[in-house]
Amino acid sequence: MGGWLHVARGPLFQAALAFMLLGLARQLALTLWEAGRAYRRAGDRTIPAGQVARATARWLVPLGRLRDRWPYSLTTLLFHVGVILVPLFLAGHIALWERGTGLSWPALPNVVATALTLAVIATALAVVVLRGASRATRPLGRFQDYALPLIVGVAFASGFLVMHPAWNPFPADPTMLLHILTADLVLVLVPLTKLSHMILLPLTQLVSELAWHFPPDAGSRVAATLGKENEPI
Amino acid sequence: MATPKRYSYHVEAAALETGDRPRRFLEAFAAILQHGSYAVALDSYARMSAKCGRCATDCQLYAATGAPEDIPCHRSELLLRVYRRYFTPSGVLKARMFGGFELTDAYLDEMAEAYYRCTACRRCKASCPMGIDHGLMTHLARWVLAEVGIIPRALLVSVREQLDGKSGNTSAIPLPALKDTCEFLTEELHDIYDVDIEYPFDVEGAEYVFFPAVSDYIMEADTLMGNAAVMHVTDGSWTIGTGNYDGINYGLFYSDRMMERIVRRVVGEVRRLRGRKILIGECGHATRSAWYVPTFAGPDAPPVVNCLEYAWDMLEAGRIPLKAERIPERVTYHDPCNIARVGRITEQPREILKAICADYVEMTPNRTHNYCCGGGGGTVSIDEIRAFRTGPMGMRKAEQIRATGAQIVVSPCANCKKQLRELCQDNDLGDVEVVGVHDLLLRAIDFPAAGNGKGG
Repeated sequence: MGGWLHVARGPLFQAALAFMLLGLARQLALTLWEAGRAYRRAGDRTIPAGQVARATARWLVPLGRLRDRWPYSLTTLLFHVGVILVPLFLAGHIALWERGTGLSWPALPNVVATALTLAVIATALAVVVLRGASRATRPLGRFQDYALPLIVGVAFASGFLVMHPAWNPFPADPTMLLHILTADLVLVLVPLTKLSHMILLPLTQLVSELAWHFPPDAGSRVAATLGKENEPI
Repeated sequence: MATPKRYSYHVEAAALETGDRPRRFLEAFAAILQHGSYAVALDSYARMSAKCGRCATDCQLYAATGAPEDIPCHRSELLLRVYRRYFTPSGVLKARMFGGFELTDAYLDEMAEAYYRCTACRRCKASCPMGIDHGLMTHLARWVLAEVGIIPRALLVSVREQLDGKSGNTSAIPLPALKDTCEFLTEELHDIYDVDIEYPFDVEGAEYVFFPAVSDYIMEADTLMGNAAVMHVTDGSWTIGTGNYDGINYGLFYSDRMMERIVRRVVGEVRRLRGRKILIGECGHATRSAWYVPTFAGPDAPPVVNCLEYAWDMLEAGRIPLKAERIPERVTYHDPCNIARVGRITEQPREILKAICADYVEMTPNRTHNYCCGGGGGTVSIDEIRAFRTGPMGMRKAEQIRATGAQIVVSPCANCKKQLRELCQDNDLGDVEVVGVHDLLLRAIDFPAAGNGKGG
């Protein structure tokens, strides 16, 4: 078991993290490249920057949207807060980073981390239940929409048990292995699934705006490519 | 000639030549991706779409039908699925390894139906946490569909007449008929308001060249009299061009290729007359299309002014004298999506109405969050879907109007006005009058104070 743990926590984690970072970097680079190309080709380059920035900020910190469908909004907001803060600011995680890289940063108090962990477990389950129960989301749901919150939920639940051995009915090492493997899996899935919004979300409002800024001769060029220049309407 | 119905709307025979439609669709999609700028959005949307369903709660159609196919995200997925499968490396690889989705004629039919059940009002964009613009998806999907001939016949024949027809406008109004109409309007202004107002034609070097929705010349006499009256009392320098007098641009609703040609015709007419600015009449989509003038005609293109912007500037500057007594009926205002969704024209019409109406009330929600009239995206022109437009699609708007208790609904848009009239007729709101802003402004102008006429 110790060997498995070592692999999962060492080379496997490093590979998963590298896969995620490189995958996200690729997506960011491609999006920026395409956005720059769209801007350069646009016939009208007047971008309502303030409006785009406000819309971006509104969804990066969506506190103003909590009143709309509040059970769903509150659930997903709590889920995101925990998912972002706990992996990065749990004292145990920081200690691992310090051991591996020498870098460290302030940690969340353990009681806060525990509360957030429990919140993530509860909201991950709630997201799945709400999705299945809601008439507006049930027909849209894909495998990943149900699987991702559950995988994240398992990673957090196993993490909670690792941190609270007194509550853990299972042996410690397999619990730790499950925690590390599910966390590694999440990292790998980030660039392959909708989780890539963690890097693309800040750009999406700009991207939507740019798509409306047509190249001046796109229509004529499409007509030429399709051999329709002289085709009657 | 219209074919037997395959969709909710009539199409021409070419649209039904199945067999190689999927191939032609993909060729057109590829060409549009190559020459347009849609790929940047499609890439992001295809990766990020979270299927959270928030858009459903903001869609007035879904609220009425509760049908999964009316969820905006579901509709956008129809196009995103094609994009992923055929235009992304991972989609192509996945298809080669595991098979799966293939574009078929039946799938194209599903898209053809879905993308004309959406008015592209873009209300749902504001509620998408991922910033997905479902209106953009509808806009793009309709263009690709159009390249295989799937276009509602009502839109197609209008554009055909405008670009290839003798009259050069969507309502097929010949120039002599237009001049007769304007003479009639001049007489009406004289008879009712005792003012002498001519409609100027082909005045070279005028500041404004006027492009209303050409259908106003048939349907909206009061709006056009209001437009002329405002120009008259403000000493505005304006003209109607006899080479092109139609602001309508149905290219916005189904093809950027057509939109580009129509916008360039407008600019060509302004340049022929050596006009300085484009004055758009009361029409939402005509205004939004005209905002594409810099796109298609470059930075030196003439600036675009909507008649509401002009009227409010003049009213604010004290150049439009108003009667002391205000219009007594309860009045409410419907925001046309094409000018209000991005917040570009929301306050000017309200300020005008507040200045001339004694009992102005708001619909809720309004401005950037307003509900579509139900006939947006060109669907108002499709008479065969009236029951859909004034039923599930327009239900929310009818409820909004009823809740205000208004006797007059004002909307500065030819399409919205047609839809709202039909909506009121079909929803037991027959007593509600639907007019434009300039219709009411005309009633409120104090012509004697402006040095002309008895004031009606």
